[in-house]
Amino acid sequence: MSDLIVGIADLKISKNGSDFLVTYALGSCIAISVYDPVAGVGGLLHYMLPDSTLDVRKAKDNPAMFADTGIPALFKACYGLGAEKKRMIVKAAGGASILDDTNFFRIGQKNIMAMRKIFWKNNVLIAAEDTGANHNRTVRLDLKSGKTFIRTSGGEMKEL
Amino acid sequence: MKTVARILKSIETIPAFPATGSKVARLLGRVDYSVPEVANVIRLDPSITANILKMANSAYFGSAHPIGTIQDAVMYLGQKNLLLAIQTAGISKYYKKGASGYFDKATDLWEHSVAVALMSQILSKAITGEEDTTLYTAALLHDVGKIILGEFVRDELYKITLLVSRHGLSFLEAEETVLGINHAELGGKIAEHWIFPSVIGDAIAFHHRPDLLEKKDQILPWLVYLADEACLMMGMGSPVEGLAQRAVGQVLTKFNLRMKDLEKSMVLLSDDLSKARDLINII
Repeated sequence: MSDLIVGIADLKISKNGSDFLVTYALGSCIAISVYDPVAGVGGLLHYMLPDSTLDVRKAKDNPAMFADTGIPALFKACYGLGAEKKRMIVKAAGGASILDDTNFFRIGQKNIMAMRKIFWKNNVLIAAEDTGANHNRTVRLDLKSGKTFIRTSGGEMKEL
Repeated sequence: MKTVARILKSIETIPAFPATGSKVARLLGRVDYSVPEVANVIRLDPSITANILKMANSAYFGSAHPIGTIQDAVMYLGQKNLLLAIQTAGISKYYKKGASGYFDKATDLWEHSVAVALMSQILSKAITGEEDTTLYTAALLHDVGKIILGEFVRDELYKITLLVSRHGLSFLEAEETVLGINHAELGGKIAEHWIFPSVIGDAIAFHHRPDLLEKKDQILPWLVYLADEACLMMGMGSPVEGLAQRAVGQVLTKFNLRMKDLEKSMVLLSDDLSKARDLINII
């Protein structure tokens, strides 16, 4: 059993049933976990910002930094290991905001909106989601069971 | 003894701040300083010496060939980066034990602090066109209060988090309600204990509420605030309080920044951090 750590602005995939894909410290960033139970393929993306037009060159270097380049990259990487879109179970967590969030620090909200728009446009259903509020989250995807677990700061690990 | 009195008493147990930094700053301030002279002052402090060499060789300071002696490091780094490296090396020793209660791992507080210090320079460059070593020091020390308050927070975590989740208090306000003092104010007192200039003490004490500082002309607390919030949003270090912080909205208009500018700074920080592993790994 090994933990593959997904950093900030990073994505990892696996089809090894003994792996766990883990990402820590989601503040306003969002983690997307995907799993194809037939192919046994899973992937985890931790993106930082909603929109790659902010820095196109950066997005080319590291698509995982932005929602609109990271999500397609995650799916494509999983197809490469034999996953199929129609079987993939998609879950999302993160997108926290600071308190009495006015129009200023809306990165968490913008990250949530960006992801919903992309999934809606591509006819992808989000099976489970724990987003918003103001706490940090850790996400774990178990490649054996396909289950995604989530832990909020100071709390217990729960299935998402 | 009341909790707040016990907390304040703990400040006395913090060792004095290493004088190497201020000695070097004074030397560099003279027009006729010599490199061997500066190197000799640094060499008197073995832990700083070792760390300076590590940092001079890090990708963040961009060395193309290995730097083996302090004298080479002084020449290569130049005045400004040398001061940054000395401050980083001096401050790191206080963060070795971490801040349980706030962070799961001992190194998380240091990682968060380095991220905020680097972010403060990115923002300073974007806003004023220049980097700022005083700001760097203040940013690196902004959470220094947590090294003392951590164990008190750990003991009262249930009460504090309840005030946050049920009563809508920020984590800082909840600390103050339960313990009688918050980590920012306590950090300001540690800066006083170290006889730091008041601009640094104020920037630490008001890093969550720069709008409450009466000295309106100071921009350091605002820059530290902005750098800290940006790093918290990015999940840098990920303390127990998460994003339970007050938004001080004026900060962006104060500096004529758009949200996009802040997002661009976050991209720059992710680049800087990948080069700054050696700064983070010194503890």
